Amino acid sequence: MRATIEVHLPVFVVIMPLFVAFVLPTLARRIRLVEGVVTSTTVLWFLGAGYLASLVLIRNGNPIGYSLGGWPAPWGIELSVGSLSCLFLLMVAGVSLPVALFAAGNMAHEVGGPKRITRFYVLCLLLGGALAGMAVTSDLFNVFVLVEVATLSCCGLVSSRNHPLAAEAAFNYLILATLGSALILGGIGFLYIITGHLNMGFASQELNRIWQEYPHVVWMAVSFLLVGFGVKSALFPLHVWLPDAHSAAPSPASAILSGLAVKGYAICLIKVLYNVFGVALIQELGMHRILTLLGMIAITAGSLFALTQDKLKRRLAFSTVAQVGYIFLGLGLANSMSLAGTLFHMASHAVIKSGLFLAAGAIIATTGNDRISEMAGVGRQMPITMAAFTVCSVSLVGIPLFSGFIGKWNLLLGSLEAGNRLAQAVIILGSVLCAAYLFPIIRVAYFEPAPAADWQDPGLPQKTALILLAAGVILLGVAPGPFLELAKRAALDLLVMK
Amino acid sequence: MRVLLDELMVNYPYFAAMILFIIGAFTVLTRSNLFKKLIGINIMESAIFLMFIAAGNIRGGAVPILDEANPQTVCINPLPSALMLTGIVVSVSVTAFALALIIRLHQSYGTTDARRIAELRKRWHANEGNH
Repeated sequence: MRATIEVHLPVFVVIMPLFVAFVLPTLARRIRLVEGVVTSTTVLWFLGAGYLASLVLIRNGNPIGYSLGGWPAPWGIELSVGSLSCLFLLMVAGVSLPVALFAAGNMAHEVGGPKRITRFYVLCLLLGGALAGMAVTSDLFNVFVLVEVATLSCCGLVSSRNHPLAAEAAFNYLILATLGSALILGGIGFLYIITGHLNMGFASQELNRIWQEYPHVVWMAVSFLLVGFGVKSALFPLHVWLPDAHSAAPSPASAILSGLAVKGYAICLIKVLYNVFGVALIQELGMHRILTLLGMIAITAGSLFALTQDKLKRRLAFSTVAQVGYIFLGLGLANSMSLAGTLFHMASHAVIKSGLFLAAGAIIATTGNDRISEMAGVGRQMPITMAAFTVCSVSLVGIPLFSGFIGKWNLLLGSLEAGNRLAQAVIILGSVLCAAYLFPIIRVAYFEPAPAADWQDPGLPQKTALILLAAGVILLGVAPGPFLELAKRAALDLLVMK
Repeated sequence: MRVLLDELMVNYPYFAAMILFIIGAFTVLTRSNLFKKLIGINIMESAIFLMFIAAGNIRGGAVPILDEANPQTVCINPLPSALMLTGIVVSVSVTAFALALIIRLHQSYGTTDARRIAELRKRWHANEGNH
């Protein structure tokens, strides 16, 4: 029995949320039951991901393979769970749990009646399943299908708030994201035309043997994929849809979209770049310089835009654009330190940004206002919410003993190793700007005279969710042990050509 | 030049795919009518489908059904066609969802023009914000 579970665990973590998503509508109007099912699903999911991670750590990072339907690799779809997949799975499941807790009993004012709330949960679970699939798949066409499932659920989540603004943001997001999908499919098509394989391992071997015969096709493929995934993960000049979509969505959805969904596309790009093209070919093509440059521009521009926003959720959304820049910067520097830093920062940013968005959601729901300038007194009247917000902000800035520090520190070491002075400067500048756009919020909330309103912390499940996320941020910062280990092993796996 | 032209003539499906893709992308990015944007998306996706199917085609190839009598028959590669079936399903769902959103926008704003919607939004929701 135990052996059977262990064998099928890689597919279980993908199938389970998808299956629950399809069963959920049958419970339509019993909203308590729906919330209970969703929360217990995320708990089970997290346990599954944790068990899988422990299996991979015991195997010294050797990936666990799984052939879907029993068809072996070049013909069937292969799942492969290595350190990278485990880190990402833990991140997705670990963030989903507090978000599900926060959403429980708290969706009616943003989404509407029980039927709409059930649909909201269905979309969340579909997105979760797609993200888990992106983490474990090693088949190029499967990547496209999962990307599409994720995109449609993301757009659905944005439009789930019953408001014309949300519908407009969702439409713009859908159009740009579909443009991105078409580019991704085109890129995969070019790779398939020259290699004849859709399995990443086989395609990689073939590509590195023959790429010199088709330099133009390889260039087309890599640029299509970069722009396609760039649109979806909101890389700076292509980020235009993100601020509207993430600030118009209901708060728990913003937390998932900003914390997890954007990273899912980044993980796909990492897999395609490093597992199919390989680090040698990327450097041969000069792609690493482009990635570094785009990353640096995104960090600076995203932070500067965030500084100018007065609306809380928009400021947080632009901060996501800046943090996506760190991911691309680390990918471009392409050494073990920078990649480990990038992967760790990805996971820690997921926890931090969900915490920030959930706290923002609680504040906006209570005060009925989303302007930062009118948040005076929130700190004293909603102590737990604002404490969680403060912990997450401090961590995002990158102060030691918080999770953001470890990712950025490794990135900085990576840029020292690469000898890239400009990158070092931008990483530090990014932190300074991050403090410049987050700390004023904390100052207004704590140190400005409070109006005579009676605001209170949200209910028990919401408080628990915020405390869990803040505790996660501190835990990742004080004892990063197994997570940093996973990130370092994943970085080494990416750099070694199979 | 002659060689290039010859290559274009032989590989005309790819050439057609490229032109369709550009037309689609141009429509999406420059038109402000929501329906036209959606049509542009569909043209773009068709271009990619065409590229995949052209890649799997072999001129004069037979339908890929295994013939026990003469196993040497040249068949086209069925995999890209099968993949594009999935692609078409995805494209249909995107279209359906986008149409639903257009209906919702038309109900709220009474127009299907992106620029007009942006104007109305600024006027109506200026003080309300995104929340």
